[in-house]
Amino acid sequence: MAHYEEVTVRGYDEFSQAISERKGKDIFAYFSGNKDAQGKSWCPDCVTAEPVVRGEMTHLPEGSVFIYCQVGERAYWKDSNNQFKKTLKLSGVPTLLRYGTPQKLVEDECFKSDLVRMMFTED
Amino acid sequence: MAALCRCRHRWKRNNCLHVLTRNLTGKYDYDLVVIGGGSGGLACSKEAAQLGQKVAVLDYVEPTAKGTKWGLGGTCVNVGCIPKKLMHQAALLGTAVKDAQKYGWQISGPICHDWATMADAVQNHVRSLNWGHRVQLQDKKVKYLNLRGSLLDEHTVRGLTKAGKETLLTAKNIVIATGGRPKYPTNIPGAMEHGMTSDDIFWMKTSPGKTLVVGASYVALECAGFLTGIGLDATVMVRSIALRGFDQQMAGLVTDYMEAYGTKFVKECVPKRVDKLSSGALQVTWTDTHTGSEHKDTYDSVLWAVGRAPETKALGLDKLGVQLKKESGKIIVGADESTSVPNIFAFGDIGEGRPELTPTAVKAGKLLARRLAGHGKELMNYDNVATTVFTPLEYGCVGLSEEEAEERHGKDGIEVYHAFYKPLEFSVAERDASQCYLKVVCERGGDQKILGLHFTGPNAGEVTQGFALGLQCGATYCHLLQTVGIHPTCAEELTKVNITKRSGLNATVSGC
Repeated sequence: MAHYEEVTVRGYDEFSQAISERKGKDIFAYFSGNKDAQGKSWCPDCVTAEPVVRGEMTHLPEGSVFIYCQVGERAYWKDSNNQFKKTLKLSGVPTLLRYGTPQKLVEDECFKSDLVRMMFTED
Repeated sequence: MAALCRCRHRWKRNNCLHVLTRNLTGKYDYDLVVIGGGSGGLACSKEAAQLGQKVAVLDYVEPTAKGTKWGLGGTCVNVGCIPKKLMHQAALLGTAVKDAQKYGWQISGPICHDWATMADAVQNHVRSLNWGHRVQLQDKKVKYLNLRGSLLDEHTVRGLTKAGKETLLTAKNIVIATGGRPKYPTNIPGAMEHGMTSDDIFWMKTSPGKTLVVGASYVALECAGFLTGIGLDATVMVRSIALRGFDQQMAGLVTDYMEAYGTKFVKECVPKRVDKLSSGALQVTWTDTHTGSEHKDTYDSVLWAVGRAPETKALGLDKLGVQLKKESGKIIVGADESTSVPNIFAFGDIGEGRPELTPTAVKAGKLLARRLAGHGKELMNYDNVATTVFTPLEYGCVGLSEEEAEERHGKDGIEVYHAFYKPLEFSVAERDASQCYLKVVCERGGDQKILGLHFTGPNAGEVTQGFALGLQCGATYCHLLQTVGIHPTCAEELTKVNITKRSGLNATVSGC
């Protein structure tokens, strides 16, 4: 039994729902481009980053939440008016952030296991 | 017998084992340990790491008397330049909105400012900078320790957690960049219990309300300035002169503008005591040094801006023989930032005689790191450093004040070109530009080398920066005359200045 809760969501509405149901919790969110039927994302950086992020999840704080969010297809993401860019202010995928704090790792920062570990263990 | 054994065991554990470790490996834990994670410390440690040195940086923030604390980045990021400039901007926007109506914007009613919204946005930005620094250090392989650092010996730094847990680090070189903290007055009852400092104001979640700012430093004036600008009742209590050390004519223009725009000034007065009333408000009693009479008034907040003290007390410097300047308490440093102990260096606000500025600390830190890593011998050049005071009417300057120039060259050895000008944008806004002024202090003979340049007006920092390059290149008044201005700007007036103080002629510039 993991010491954190993992939630999988697709799209902005599901993401907002997941957040609102977990008020007061320490929430980490990882945003990735959608995966195809073979499980491969259209976003090459996301493909590289995911195993790195997953590899550090044992360091997540006790009682925290990890939301894995697929943002949508490439066309949706490229539209600068999409909800993630407009409301959450995401600048790129993959993004790993700690909800409600300025702690964020963007794109190639997510390739670095020590940075991911730093985010999960920092208070 | 038992006692003897106990003693030996203790000595072995604390000292001997440690010495053995060092000797066995033949080297230290780190090439460089930096104490202080502010503008200087971070720049130095990152540069050193980039040059292949093994570096650790210790940063620790002792909470204020009010319990305020903050993250990595030092004074500038957390309780200085950054939040100050953002709040100054908030105030300027308030003025701009008032001007906007004259430019045609239809604004329905009186506008008011919400402190909490501003503070939240500013504090969030600062926190993102704290995080950014954490990521940078990690990325550049600098070991970061959130511990209170002190020196045990010339090569050993001790780090302490809040709970008192100890970590020891040995280093070939040690750099002290611990900066300073605001001073509280020592002889005023109630000062510490009821008042706050610049360390607190930027982290307040609720409005400071009617505020008394004690002091006339740039910290005092900038804070009183933005408080007035966002609509609060702000008073500055000045003991003698404003902006000591700055050109006094310019200082006068800055304070005149502030007074005209609503900041109250209580001059030649010193506070005597601060009491908290049953309503929660603060009652300040002060003495008018001119008449000797006593006065009282009530405020919601009292902000002490009466100087900054260097963070040297808890470093253990006296034990090591690191010399401090008695009057200031700062560390005496050489041109290469060295101290009286060969492998210990100090720079930034902590260094005696150094400007208390971020850019000089950053540059000095990088150059020091390069020298320590054996990459060059370049020393920091502290001459002609441009600065700006971000009061409601900003004041930018580079080089000598008129007083300093007179002292060095004599009144007859300098020529001061000056002008009162009016920013174009003030015209439509019907704003008073009486304090918008500039002067260029030059040598009188020869090419008339520029010794100092002073400017009050909007965006003074942006205006002054480029001219700092000119001074660095040895610009003369002739060069200035050869420079064509950009029109229409305020900065162009600097390229057109031609009336001398000596002539006594009217220095007001007419339009084009």
